[in-house]
Amino acid sequence: MKNTGFSILVLATLAAIGWTFLTPDALRNGPTVEKLTLTGSSTIAPLAAEIGKRFEMLHPGARIDVQSGGSSRGIGDARTGLAHIGLASRALKADESDLHAHTIALDGIALIINQSNPVPALGRKQIVEIFTGKINNWRDVGGTDAPITVVNKAEGRSTLELFLQFFGLQGTDVKPHVIIGDNQQGIKTVAGNANAIGYVSIGSAAYEAEHGAPIKLLPLDDAEATIDNVRNGSFPLSRPLNLVTHGKAYGLAESFIEFAQSDQVHDLIEAQYFVPIYR
Amino acid sequence: MIKNNAATILIYCSAISVTSLFLWLLTDLLIQGLPKLSPAFLFEAPRDAGRAGGIGPIIIATGWIVLVAMSAAAPLALATAVWLVEFTRPDGIFSRFVEFSIDVLASVPSIVFGLFGNAFFCVYLGLGFSIVSGGLTLACMTLPILIRTVADGLRAVPDGYRMVAAALGMTRGSALVHLLLPSAAPALTAGLLLSIGRSAAETAALIFTSGYVDRMPGSLFDSGRALSVHIYDLSMNVAGGDANAHATALVLIIFLLIINNAAIGLLRHWRKQHIAAS
Repeated sequence: MKNTGFSILVLATLAAIGWTFLTPDALRNGPTVEKLTLTGSSTIAPLAAEIGKRFEMLHPGARIDVQSGGSSRGIGDARTGLAHIGLASRALKADESDLHAHTIALDGIALIINQSNPVPALGRKQIVEIFTGKINNWRDVGGTDAPITVVNKAEGRSTLELFLQFFGLQGTDVKPHVIIGDNQQGIKTVAGNANAIGYVSIGSAAYEAEHGAPIKLLPLDDAEATIDNVRNGSFPLSRPLNLVTHGKAYGLAESFIEFAQSDQVHDLIEAQYFVPIYR
Repeated sequence: MIKNNAATILIYCSAISVTSLFLWLLTDLLIQGLPKLSPAFLFEAPRDAGRAGGIGPIIIATGWIVLVAMSAAAPLALATAVWLVEFTRPDGIFSRFVEFSIDVLASVPSIVFGLFGNAFFCVYLGLGFSIVSGGLTLACMTLPILIRTVADGLRAVPDGYRMVAAALGMTRGSALVHLLLPSAAPALTAGLLLSIGRSAAETAALIFTSGYVDRMPGSLFDSGRALSVHIYDLSMNVAGGDANAHATALVLIIFLLIINNAAIGLLRHWRKQHIAAS
């Protein structure tokens, strides 16, 4: 009686092992597929995956694998060859001249505060002083008497790098209370904390604000934080969403980049709340 | 008397708060996730970055990842536990070192396993972002739990069994196969199901190993998105993905409940059988 149970267990384990090692070959008898790996910015990843799916439909032999992880990772993986194409939601830096950037869309970065916060707008100097900890109470910038919770992005995120660059800050200058990774996390943090201030991708912030998240997008240099203002260039804090290759792209990578830059994907770009580029 | 009553009330309160926490979580998921849940949701591929469509490929990928993890971890764990309990002295230097390694491994956060898996399986061994990489990473992560539960199961077998086996002239090998392992089978199964539960719920170890691709995996060397990675991405990275994140979480919770109940049921069944037989 005891032995039956045990033998079943052993058989099941053996079957599982056999299945695991035999199946790949059994499943792999389709036509040869060419695989393109994209890694990097979590802002671009969902868009790239959608573009990839449409591209696969047009090129039956192609597989587009998109991995997330942040722009720095995209740049690194493109360099080491771990990825055919890196995803970077910022322009390339001077020391990245060995790479080629192919812009597929634009995105803006908006400062967000909780809806209940009465502060209507902040000047550049005030923003710098809040993020460096010189101002730590909303009272000092025309709000209520409450401590400010500074929400910063994690190291390696291009939103952070762009924000620092725009306001002329060093990473070590910022005195954050909360450190976040992806956009939605930033929005949820600010939505849940009446005294928080953070910065995220305009597209996601505008979408969430429209759909009832209690957040407010602050204007910057008198320009409202809207997708339209990113499109017409009047919003100052915007960034390109780039596909990055090490050396010139060729073969499948080249045709994918061409496709991602064509007007065949503008609806996908808009569906992810980014701004397509009309060439 | 008053002291006694106070203690009783306190115990009841903590019991109630634990159950109400679980019920709250479940109701929240049911309210937000149930409207989205349908047979189509379980079988369709995700569309529009996961806001629309279903989670068919993601369920399949999760199943494969867990299967790879368990097929790799179970034999290793079984062998290690048998060696630890039956074939070595508990105070030996090497066995103490193995025990220490297991304790350290058990306390390592899963993101560290994720980074290790990415560096070792994906890059060094060249497996890339694939279900195999993710499964093997999970195997490393669940090894400590498995070894511990199996070893505890073996230790719980009365020493009398071993002496009787020796007295009857059974070799250690046949005593192990015919006597000790069958007696420890419930522990092994429980450990296996616990590990399956933990594997299926893992995010951090998988996002950089099995990856982010939400297509139906064609082979074990394809990247596949696990359920928990899908939930994480929908709620943290995709604007408007919350509804489907809740529905996916509900599916995951239901799976985990089924697995847990199976574990408990199997254990009860085995225990009854064991008592009847001995």
